[in-house]
Amino acid sequence: MKGVKSLSTNVRLALISLLICGLVFPIVMTGIGQVTLPWQSNGSQVYYDGKSIGSELIAQNFTVPVFFHPRNDSASGVDPDITLKDAMSQVPRIHNATGISESVLNATLLKYRQYTLFFFGTPYVNVLEVNLYLVKTYPSIYSQYVQ
Amino acid sequence: MGALEVQPVGVIMLSIEDLFVVAVVWGVVIVFSWFFSKYLFTVFTGGKSRLDKFFKPIENFIYTLSGIESTKNMGWKEYFKALFYLNVAQTVIALFILMFQANLPLNPMHYQGMSWSLAFNTVLSFSSNTNLQHYNGETTLSYLSQMSAIQFLQFTSAATGLAAGVAILRGFAGKARTIGNFYFDYVRSLTRVLLPLTFITTLVLIALGIPQSLGGYTLIPTLQKDAYEILYRGPIASLVSIMQLGTNGGGYFGANSAYPLQNPSQVTDFLELGMMMFIPTATLFMFGRMVGDNREGRTLFLAAYAIYGIDLIIAFLPKVHTGRGLEVGYGGAASVFWTVTTTAFTTGSVNASLAAFNPVVIFTGFIGMLIQGAPGGEGIGAMYLIMYVIVTIFLVGLMAGRTPEYLGIKIEGRDVKLAVMAFLTHPIIILVPTVLAFAIGAEKAAGLTTNSIGFTQIFYEFTSSAANNGSDFLGASGNTIFFNVTTGIVMWLGRYLPMLFMLAIADSVAVRKRTPSQGLKTGNISFVVILVVSIFILTVLTFFPFLVLGPILQFLEGFKTSFGGVIFAL
Repeated sequence: MKGVKSLSTNVRLALISLLICGLVFPIVMTGIGQVTLPWQSNGSQVYYDGKSIGSELIAQNFTVPVFFHPRNDSASGVDPDITLKDAMSQVPRIHNATGISESVLNATLLKYRQYTLFFFGTPYVNVLEVNLYLVKTYPSIYSQYVQ
Repeated sequence: MGALEVQPVGVIMLSIEDLFVVAVVWGVVIVFSWFFSKYLFTVFTGGKSRLDKFFKPIENFIYTLSGIESTKNMGWKEYFKALFYLNVAQTVIALFILMFQANLPLNPMHYQGMSWSLAFNTVLSFSSNTNLQHYNGETTLSYLSQMSAIQFLQFTSAATGLAAGVAILRGFAGKARTIGNFYFDYVRSLTRVLLPLTFITTLVLIALGIPQSLGGYTLIPTLQKDAYEILYRGPIASLVSIMQLGTNGGGYFGANSAYPLQNPSQVTDFLELGMMMFIPTATLFMFGRMVGDNREGRTLFLAAYAIYGIDLIIAFLPKVHTGRGLEVGYGGAASVFWTVTTTAFTTGSVNASLAAFNPVVIFTGFIGMLIQGAPGGEGIGAMYLIMYVIVTIFLVGLMAGRTPEYLGIKIEGRDVKLAVMAFLTHPIIILVPTVLAFAIGAEKAAGLTTNSIGFTQIFYEFTSSAANNGSDFLGASGNTIFFNVTTGIVMWLGRYLPMLFMLAIADSVAVRKRTPSQGLKTGNISFVVILVVSIFILTVLTFFPFLVLGPILQFLEGFKTSFGGVIFAL
């Protein structure tokens, strides 16, 4: 009898734990997130021309020479950032493809520069941010390359 | 996952960035966990609290529904049985959810059920707080599985580990003259520690960019013409909260915390790091409060952090480049810091591909996992530190010719035998299956080569399983019947056997007579030094031949590549 009682106690406690931790908690958090922080809760999506063009946190597949390209060898394969050095090495290619002067492209990169660890660390840029700026600033050059 | 590359060894360099990052994170975590230890002490000694008005009714409701007597003290066998059977029940429930997710709700992506061997591996992995993952969550698991199998077991395994650790500390502290009641410890771990903390961190993580949604995965046309991305929106922030606070480590994504939606920025990177360090550190301070002498908690804390610090210094020696396999936005220092921390606390989450690291970093990862108490996982890290204290006091007692004593308790032959059994569990369940894997050629089936790199990966797999860590090189390529079954068994043996042995010791010392200490004082710095040296000697000597065949050989091969040419040119 003692064994049956202990089995029933453990099964009941397991089910209560499942209900609280495995259903109520994540669903309540989803509700709170959707109401109070809907943009982040839904993946920090960036909008262009009124439509979502994906998450600012996910690297996009930029392949044509007019855009800055992300690197796709990192652990996740979708690192949205590249180092400033990497970005600057792509400037001559974009200049050749678009005719936008190298000094303007470099200035754009500096404008969007972020640092790991405030100002101690490595400077880097978010690829989508820079490309979106180029698309908006030079519509006549870029309109044929975007959705 | 690609094969490990032999990387050239760089110049010795510890940058200001490295030092700054470590100092800030350590400082914040240590201060916060010191204050939190007071709260933990009240929670687990049943002291009066203003929060009782809110929590008591919830807890009493859970006790009544399950038919639990939460005030009845348990012996070690009863405590362990309750813990083990509850874990078995939870594991079986999760197994069914994973295998039959195709027929269950909240599966908008229409994913198939898991194979029996993968589901078996996954539930043993999550119930034992290991979180080794032989699958990629975002392409395999339904929302229900992510919540009701994965997050569920992450909560319960953290609560179980914390309960067992607290019971053992309570027994040694001796004030309660018992190891306590499992259900009391388990339920309070959930209601008063894990759920409130994860509630707060989930909100903070959402604000910092981690999704929390049940809106389905969507294919979105991206900026460039004819390019698309899949946006994996899911209940991610809540999962990340418990995976870090509960030292679980199993991610929503296959790439774990290297995937930007699980760790969007350097701020979240440091926050997640701090979260995994928080409760294990507070538990060590709580021990001092239980004993009634903060110096005893300080001893465990200093020893654990000394080893963790030594690991960090070794790992920072090779210059780390932000290169293949490291995410740009976190910085190279943060990735090394994370990898050492995740193994020191046996969490096992990763924010970079392990294959991107120099073998020296991997070596320090091994040290963290082989020791398990530096500072170790939820509750369990403290348990292993106590185990090392017993063995160390015994060894010192032998050398000095005195009766070994800890906290005024005479350490008897049975205690030492059980502590040594707990210690030896680990080498047996790591070394035997590692050798077995190569004996039957299982490494080839997982696409590995039979050299120092393949050896490191398999040795790492079983070490990570036994230590209930969960970081690994194999990832989804470990999804073979051999690795699923063997690592599954190793994870459970590594989880429950040492717990059983240590509960047995704690229960017997709880009622043992205490006399003011005549022998070695354990509350001072010289004992910390003795303890650290003894932990290193015990662990490194046990595993040295295997470390030589794996990461050390790999390091020397890299060294030859970098400097060999120079030497031959001279």
